[in-house]
Amino acid sequence: MPMRLPIYVLACLAPVLAAAGPAQGAADFHKHIRPLLETYCFDCHADGVNKGNVAFDEFASDQAAVDNRDLWLRAFKMLRAGLMPPAKKPHPSTHERAQVLHWIKRDVFAIDPANPNPGRVTLRRLNRVEYRNTIHDLLGVDFDALSEFPPDDTGFGFDNIGQVLTLPPMLLEKYLTAADEIMTKVQENWTHPGGHEHFFPRATPTDDAARREYARQLLEAFAGKAFRRPVEPDTLERLVNLAEATYRQPGKTFEAGVAEAMIAVLASPHFLFHEEAAEPANPRQHYAFVDQFSLASRLSYFLWSSMPDDELLHLAASGSLRKDLATQVERMLKDPRSDRLVRNFTGQWLRGRDIETVPSEARFILAREEKASADFEPNRRRLRELRDKNKDQLTQPEREELSRLRAEFRRRLEERVPGELTGELRRAMRRETEMVFSFVLHQDRPLLELLDSDYTFLNEPLARQYGLTNVLGPEMRLVRLPPGSPRGGVLTEGTVLVTTSNPTRTSPVKRGAFILENILGTPVPPPPPNLPPLEDAAKGLTNHTPTLRETLALHRQNSLCASCHNRMDPLGLAFENFNALGMWRTTEFQQPLDTAGQLITGESFTNPNELKQLLLKDHAGDFYRTLTEKFLTYALGRGLEYYDVETVDQIVARIQKSGGRSSALLAGIIESAPFEKIQNPSVPTGLGKEESHSP
Amino acid sequence: MNSLLSSHTWQQPQSFNRRQFLRGLGACIALPAFGSLAPLKALAGTSPAALATTASGAPLRTAFIYFPNGAIPAAWWPEGEEANFQLNHTLKPLERFRQRLQILSGLDHRNAMAGPDGGGDHARANGTFLTGVRVKKSATDIRAAISIDQVIARHVGRLTRFPSLELTCDPGRNAGSCDSGYSCAYQYNLAWSSPTTPMAPEANPRQVFERLFGAGEPKQRAEDLKRRRQQERSILDCVLQDARQMQGRLSSPDRDKLDQYLTGVRDVETRIQRAETLGDGKDPRCEAPSGIPPTYAEHIQIMFDMLVLAFQTDSTRVATLLLAHDGSNRSFTDIGVPEGHHELSHHFQDPEKIRKVAEIDLWYVKQLARFLEKMDQTRDADGQSLLHNSMLVYGGGNADGNAHTHVNLPIILAGAGGGTLTPGRYLKFGSQPASNLFLSLADRMGLTGLERFGDSTARLTQV
Repeated sequence: MPMRLPIYVLACLAPVLAAAGPAQGAADFHKHIRPLLETYCFDCHADGVNKGNVAFDEFASDQAAVDNRDLWLRAFKMLRAGLMPPAKKPHPSTHERAQVLHWIKRDVFAIDPANPNPGRVTLRRLNRVEYRNTIHDLLGVDFDALSEFPPDDTGFGFDNIGQVLTLPPMLLEKYLTAADEIMTKVQENWTHPGGHEHFFPRATPTDDAARREYARQLLEAFAGKAFRRPVEPDTLERLVNLAEATYRQPGKTFEAGVAEAMIAVLASPHFLFHEEAAEPANPRQHYAFVDQFSLASRLSYFLWSSMPDDELLHLAASGSLRKDLATQVERMLKDPRSDRLVRNFTGQWLRGRDIETVPSEARFILAREEKASADFEPNRRRLRELRDKNKDQLTQPEREELSRLRAEFRRRLEERVPGELTGELRRAMRRETEMVFSFVLHQDRPLLELLDSDYTFLNEPLARQYGLTNVLGPEMRLVRLPPGSPRGGVLTEGTVLVTTSNPTRTSPVKRGAFILENILGTPVPPPPPNLPPLEDAAKGLTNHTPTLRETLALHRQNSLCASCHNRMDPLGLAFENFNALGMWRTTEFQQPLDTAGQLITGESFTNPNELKQLLLKDHAGDFYRTLTEKFLTYALGRGLEYYDVETVDQIVARIQKSGGRSSALLAGIIESAPFEKIQNPSVPTGLGKEESHSP
Repeated sequence: MNSLLSSHTWQQPQSFNRRQFLRGLGACIALPAFGSLAPLKALAGTSPAALATTASGAPLRTAFIYFPNGAIPAAWWPEGEEANFQLNHTLKPLERFRQRLQILSGLDHRNAMAGPDGGGDHARANGTFLTGVRVKKSATDIRAAISIDQVIARHVGRLTRFPSLELTCDPGRNAGSCDSGYSCAYQYNLAWSSPTTPMAPEANPRQVFERLFGAGEPKQRAEDLKRRRQQERSILDCVLQDARQMQGRLSSPDRDKLDQYLTGVRDVETRIQRAETLGDGKDPRCEAPSGIPPTYAEHIQIMFDMLVLAFQTDSTRVATLLLAHDGSNRSFTDIGVPEGHHELSHHFQDPEKIRKVAEIDLWYVKQLARFLEKMDQTRDADGQSLLHNSMLVYGGGNADGNAHTHVNLPIILAGAGGGTLTPGRYLKFGSQPASNLFLSLADRMGLTGLERFGDSTARLTQV
């Protein structure tokens, strides 16, 4: 596997750090790292000051410092993201910074860049999306797993995380019912022209033994596909017995018997779980390659959210998949099934799954931008007052007033609001998000086009929502954006703008938090449990409805809130020109919107386009890393661990070297140690190896 | 809208009138719902503390219904105490049932408080509600405890075809993460069969119905159930051996996952055996609901209907229903509240926002009132109402949604527990673990030897 070290790591492989070892780590800490901490960190993290509960001078010994992995993981992330030291404090040189990062990776995390720890994926079951696709690709039956099965729990932002996916008893019941329903449909298909021959290539023998043999052949082929690896002899024996026991019953056909065994296949743990195995490896090696059938499934569930096809399984069986990997990835990406990767990944990373259902109240959103009719509020109050009165005590004029007000409000409610998020519009938003991502992925475009581009995908209703008039018709297509357009890039797509809003207004906090987590990779911690009340600070603002910017400014006066809101708010407020329906606007409550701000890392901007440019110029690396982390999490089905920083760094370096191409990201993931390898099961004390491994 | 209704004659076929639905439900099932009363009485006579059975020999049921984001305290709590109390704004819809329920104040879930765990009050409110423990703050390593409904189900479950029923009206999940680093499992599940196994609830009323009574036309359903049982039996034999073989090859975290599979297999086997000894449930002889109804109110009501049906046919005696997960940001435009519930619940003392949250609280209580009405109007085997022979907990793990408090939780205990409870009162407990209430309910369900539950300190003797 090609290994490319990030440039700064190479630069750092200075002679002093060459020979690593437990004692060496402590010695290096004393000699090289601690002096740097003294210079740049001790102001806030030593001598009794421990901001954020971090103190760098309270270790019992140099070795104790090395052993505090959690602390260094936090320090590593802060330093790498440029969040520490703070913008106003003296900063270490590039070399010094790299030196600390390298020391953490090698001595604290014990990472061997030539042989990174592949980690451990907990046995995971098919999630409901994978189940549906697998059934479709295996049997040609469309089973609506999304409404039949309970939602899968998510972890680390995705719904395919082995550790998180549970199998409650109710789900097992559903698997049984589903298998029965699916096979009922399959048996129906067998009655259609061609359907039977497709599955039963020859006539059913009449002789008992030959019939049994035929059933065995059919079930061996079917179970081999369904289990994504050859079926074991005794499992096959059981399946054949089941088929035979059924078709021997009076009135039952051979087909019904085979179908019964197929139900058992679909209910088997071999079908429902991603079962993996390792290639034989030297017991002295901690890590082994996954076997070729596992590799076929890892590829297909990553790129297709489904089972491997015949070609992949044949290559796995002949042992030639690993050497044919690049060709296969290329072929798989060209296959329409790769749209499922796009849909599932953007559905979660960019919230495409939420856009179709997120609550949205267009009338109230737009009211913030219009001059509201003066009698709206008084009328509403009066209506409520009359409605709450005892009906019998209403006077005649009151009754008339009530019915007049009722009629008026009903009319108002029935009026279509332009910009309202209809199902059509919501679907178009989702498609836009998917198509932009698909374009970047399939056309091998620069990944930074996800942050800013001069194109997007629109149809007429969505174009109108975005204030563009030259797109006609319902079909989504590639549209070149006019010069200076605020659109282009995921942050100004309807999907992201709407799903990061509240039902009646934008939420700059949610938008800021979204960018920090999903674009910059520096998520804010959850809010403190005891929220300080705003009302005292807001008292001076009774002369007008405070804007969100004003409200948030008040909020930030509290230092408890400021540390995170200083990071979230400017990012979110920059996009205030986009309302909670994803439409462009310039005012709110008859006041012009102010979108200027400053990032916590010091850079200033005045509008969303300038912020995008800042992200491209100064934070491309952060974006590559964040996208890599998200993609890798999704590809592996597990959360990333401290030792994965090396794998991520290697992939990011590869992306940068390629000029930011999406192919480098994809190849980097597929060729990475965690994707290709597994803990070596033949290591006698294999358990927890990743915890105790030292170079 | 749904076919349960369409099989009957309605005065106003256009509108979805709950009262009529109730009548429809009563009409579509023959009463008494199961067997005759005589053997039940004989059964009851054998032991004074019979499992999940009232003194008259009828089944005793318990259900736990969760509503999200707490309730505005000032509008929730009544004036007065004991038998002399006036209901406040939010609980007004329960006026008709005041003699059939108890309003309990001073019950806490201190394990839902932030403590060392920081943010995540919604996840904790939900996760602690029926478990009484501090749930582990982790997105991956979930750890709660067996919930009170499951403790009860373990003891009384063998009496019915289904040990318990888990329902939800909140099938949705947002992409990405849930509350503050907690697994979504805490927020979307009320019932836990073990610290690591949440009991995923069912949201689709059609599936609840078919699970209880079988699929197909009314007359085919019993046959469908029988056929499926036979099939499942032979298939389970086959896959059980697959699973055992696989298990030998796995290391420990993987083995835990496969254990969940094996537990599921055993549960289905047990259910098959029980159905064979107890016989199938009396079929309600109406069409199954067609799916999740278009509006939230309809969804809630039809899930309540499923509860009534399950209790009435004695298919189970233990149930949980999650109306919405804590932190739910649902908007209620129909009652003039377009803002999200969660967003509003952080009202910062804004009177308009407080009013709107109270409107939402009231809306939920109205849904409860409709359920109580059905339970009250449905006759049980002993001639009492289902409500009389039930203990229904309606509440949430958040008290004041604005401040995220977990003491003095809004909790109502409806039903007379077959005569073992003394409804018609507003009880003030000062400050006691809500787990104490659960312990007392478990006693009445006939559990013996349960000394503690969650963070319980004593029993709530006054209820």
